[in-house]
Amino acid sequence: MNLISKTSPSVGASQARPDALNKVMGHEKFAADYYGPRHLWAGVRRAGIPHGRLISVSTEAAKQVPGVKKILTHKDVNGSNRQGVIQKDQPVLVDDRIRHCGDALALVIAETSQALETALALISFEYEALPGIFTTAEAFQYGAPLIHPTHPGGNCLLSGQLVSGKGLEAFEACDAIVELTIDLPRQEHAYLETECGEAVYEKGELSIVVSTQTPFRDRAETAQAIGISPEKLRIIAPYCGGGFGGKDGITVQSLLGLAAMACPDVPIKMMWSREESFLAGPKRHAASLHYRLGAKQNGVFHALEVRADFDTGPYDHLGGAVLGLALEHAGGPYRIPHAAIQGKAVYTNNTIGGAFRGFGVPQVAAAMEQAVDLMAEKLSLSPLDIRMKNAVQKGDKIPSGTTLKTSTGIRECLARLKAHPLYREADAWKKKAPAHMLRGSGMACALHGMGYGPFVPDTAIAKLELTKQGRFKIYFGVVDMGQGNGVTFLQMAGDLLNQNYENLELVLPDTGLTLPCGSASASRSTYTFGNALIQAVETMKTRLTQRAADSLMVGDGDEFCFIPGHLRHLPTGREFPLAQLAALLGPEERITISRYRALASKETVTQDTALQMHGIPHTVFSYTAHLAHVEIDTLTGGITVCNYTAVTDCGRLINPDLYQQQMQGGIAQGLGYALYEDFITDKGRLLTANLSTYIIPGALDIPPMALSSVDLQENTGPFGMKGVGEICIDPVLPAVANAVADACGGGRCRQWPLTCERMLEILTIPVCPPGADMNRSLI
Amino acid sequence: MPAVILPQTLDELLDLKAQGHTILAGGTDLFVHMRNKKIQPQTLVCLDQLKDKGLREVADTGDEICIGAAVTHSRLIQNPLVQQHFPVLIQALDTLGSPQIRNMGTLGGNIMTASPAGDSLPPLYVLDAQVELAGKNGSRRMSLSRFITGPGATGLNPEEILYRIWIPKQPSYDLHHFEKVGHRKSLSIAILSMAALIGLTGDRKIRAVRLAWGSLGKTIATSPETEKRLMGTPMDDPAGFILAAARIREEVSPISDVRAGADYRRQVAGNLVLRLCQGPLEPLKQGPGAV
Ligand SMILES: Cc1cc2nc3c(=O)[nH]c(=O)nc-3n(C[C@H](O)[C@H](O)[C@H](O)COP(=O)(O)OP(=O)(O)OC[C@H]3O[C@@H](n4cnc5c(N)ncnc54)[C@H](O)[C@@H]3O)c2cc1C
Repeated sequence: MNLISKTSPSVGASQARPDALNKVMGHEKFAADYYGPRHLWAGVRRAGIPHGRLISVSTEAAKQVPGVKKILTHKDVNGSNRQGVIQKDQPVLVDDRIRHCGDALALVIAETSQALETALALISFEYEALPGIFTTAEAFQYGAPLIHPTHPGGNCLLSGQLVSGKGLEAFEACDAIVELTIDLPRQEHAYLETECGEAVYEKGELSIVVSTQTPFRDRAETAQAIGISPEKLRIIAPYCGGGFGGKDGITVQSLLGLAAMACPDVPIKMMWSREESFLAGPKRHAASLHYRLGAKQNGVFHALEVRADFDTGPYDHLGGAVLGLALEHAGGPYRIPHAAIQGKAVYTNNTIGGAFRGFGVPQVAAAMEQAVDLMAEKLSLSPLDIRMKNAVQKGDKIPSGTTLKTSTGIRECLARLKAHPLYREADAWKKKAPAHMLRGSGMACALHGMGYGPFVPDTAIAKLELTKQGRFKIYFGVVDMGQGNGVTFLQMAGDLLNQNYENLELVLPDTGLTLPCGSASASRSTYTFGNALIQAVETMKTRLTQRAADSLMVGDGDEFCFIPGHLRHLPTGREFPLAQLAALLGPEERITISRYRALASKETVTQDTALQMHGIPHTVFSYTAHLAHVEIDTLTGGITVCNYTAVTDCGRLINPDLYQQQMQGGIAQGLGYALYEDFITDKGRLLTANLSTYIIPGALDIPPMALSSVDLQENTGPFGMKGVGEICIDPVLPAVANAVADACGGGRCRQWPLTCERMLEILTIPVCPPGADMNRSLI
Repeated sequence: MPAVILPQTLDELLDLKAQGHTILAGGTDLFVHMRNKKIQPQTLVCLDQLKDKGLREVADTGDEICIGAAVTHSRLIQNPLVQQHFPVLIQALDTLGSPQIRNMGTLGGNIMTASPAGDSLPPLYVLDAQVELAGKNGSRRMSLSRFITGPGATGLNPEEILYRIWIPKQPSYDLHHFEKVGHRKSLSIAILSMAALIGLTGDRKIRAVRLAWGSLGKTIATSPETEKRLMGTPMDDPAGFILAAARIREEVSPISDVRAGADYRRQVAGNLVLRLCQGPLEPLKQGPGAV
């Protein structure tokens, strides 16, 4: 029994998620917790070499291991053996070419995890080594090997450019120009629950319980890859133990499906070790960014040049879409009339670049927001004033050319930040730096578009059922991976239906029970499904009150009002149990279904259909302004983030606690990106192969955070909300960068993250004009 | 999965050890090594049910404090004797791992792992700790700095266990200091660490000093020359500290690994000495620029 069951859900209240208690007690079953009474283990032999032509795989020795049931190679795959969201360029089991160390060569099914491990170690393979590509620059060198010889773009997965106004020519009319080059690392998602699932194939039907963000897309993708018809494949997605984009796409699904079909009638389990997750899972794209920003003497931005290269690793995954979002957001939430923004997503033999919270925006914001500070310094404006001067309003275009048609609250965010004590008292705080310490304060802004853009339909289908017992079931198909969208759906439906939590129930994503809702990604989950749900609830309300009116032979539906468990007839005051009403209705009548498709922009920002398909332009954006206070230890280079504040426009808050949690988590993850997480590789091999050397921040590294929302109404959003899942991480790195530069007289880091070693190096270089060497002012 | 044996008495434990079995104390190093297949023991001898107090007690023996090898870090941190006599050890253990690791991990385990990054080791070096090794034929004592011979290597004979750690009380030191440089504030392996004990004259000049660095060499690094340069230096006078810092930087040849490069370690080994100075080090604000 849940503690909150007697309370009534209301939109705008901080209410505990229904899964919270279950998770704390260990009752909630994640995909990792599914164990059949008698199950087999499946595991994969990975290549361990970055690039080569596969000649043969030898499984004979491994087959002799007692307990080994089956060993499969590409020869055993009856489907296309290719997966991928946009380009299907990734083999399930390698058939011709190994393109990174994490590629899967053979799939072993065994009775015990020990037998599995022994067998995997005995699999060997013959290959012809090919030279590898480990930087985006190498990919274009003369004679560079082609990673996908048939790809029309060569080693370039996708390139694009957005030019507005006079483009580069406009720099001639600028009074001040600043320039900045930075290199950003890959970032590992490091979710608690590594990629895992359990599958069973019985009577010609395949069912997979999996830790995923995308059950419906998984079904289609897996079905064609392994050769089963989609209606024979069911994907069940329990609460997911962390996703952040890393489970936006196939991980274990196809492998588990192959294993289950090879060994029918027994549940088969696969769970990647942390090392395997590091090696084979997607990462945030490493990126190289070159920025040039020009302004007039009065601080008004005039021209922007961006070059952004993304290392997408060996497969598309979502690399093209990441590039698209990065290009669209490259100029931040500012008016800049002239811009030339270009970028590439480049194939390499590194780990796979894919979706990660922020989806390209953290990379471009890292450069843009530092360029803004360089300009402020050059023109002797305060970082806040120069942002306010250039910040967009509704109706403006951002530099990529997208018109902002919906709520646009960056100016409100900045105004609120200006009034915050951390901003006002920053100078006093800095002066109190203890011995050997330098203190600085820095800010950064961001905007983040929601949803898939104009081309891929951004839809969700909500299903609502009045049960025979008179309770309401909400069937949702968009995964709750910990962000808490589940409770927001209860709040919306419960508020509209005026039902207590005990009268409401969630049915988690399951292609067999719920309806397609798209991915839990792109800051869209609550927005898109929420809109669909509201329609389903309204239809249900009308239907129930009308049926009640009919059966009581009273005037009309509007004579009734919903109260917990009952309908009250207002003129007479009589109350009818919902269960009684449910008994009058057939099964179809007790269900309402509603589809919502998010607004697709009609604006022509680019003629490039590839870019349109990859998501340009968006229509609804969230905004945020962040401020960080840092302290640098000059003896060690250690950086402590002492205080943090952020003001965000993500529409109205459905649940203020969840808003806080998203912001805190995103900021913590952003601090990891800025200061700790160095994904070090050598020729495609991981040198930081697990969490003992890949350092994510711990609780003691996270500063106190003051997080507020400007609470503007977004008219297209359910109850006025917009997404907050990604905007929280976008400006963290540059806020830290700007604070560090403020502390140490302009020193800036080129290769991120800013570890203590790099920081000490920056402190030891005699500091010349703002931003030593590469990152300098030009005019 | 290895079998686990739970001896009740010291004699049983020593018998089992003599048979070549592996000791399991807190398991916080052992299980990591087993997972990595660095070792694959058939049998583990767990210390949890041992009735022998020597392994689990902290005792005051007059001039020395004697610590059982199986005492956990958390219990040491809470122990009044350790708090009173060896603040430098407490400071170091406070930075070791996380609460969970400190609750499970033992001082004996940290010593036996003999990692250059072992956080208890620099304090134990400057405190002149001795180890007592017990075997079926009795026990022997030797200094910790002689006992540890390299990364993961000690002078323990196969049939012996590390039984107790003996530390002389330190009346002559006024200042205990430990600093660890890590990539984050908890659960962090030292990139570098330094323990310091300083004794002062009435006018706050250094009359006695001991320094030891972790993660700087193959074992804990010490430097009598660096200590010598600090002798007589007033605590608020940077000059002597800067000289001493330069000396340690000259002396060491640290490793480079994924955690940090050798140059960083060398530079910071000196910088940590500068931290001891209680006077202004203004020129250092923009980086010491040494090396
Ligand atoms: C997440 C994590 C974080 C950590 N952080 C730190 C850190 O910040 N600083 C640090 O220094 N260490 C750290 N460690 C390492 C470890 O926790 C410590 O070294 C700890 O003190 C080991 O003690 P234990 O009792 O767990 O040893 P065990 O793992 O039980 O044993 C270690 C080795 O010593 C042997 N052994 C143990 N006791 C005896 C004995 N009495 N006689 C003979 N042999 C013996 C064992 O056979 C084994 O070979 C960390 C470990 C983990 C997993």
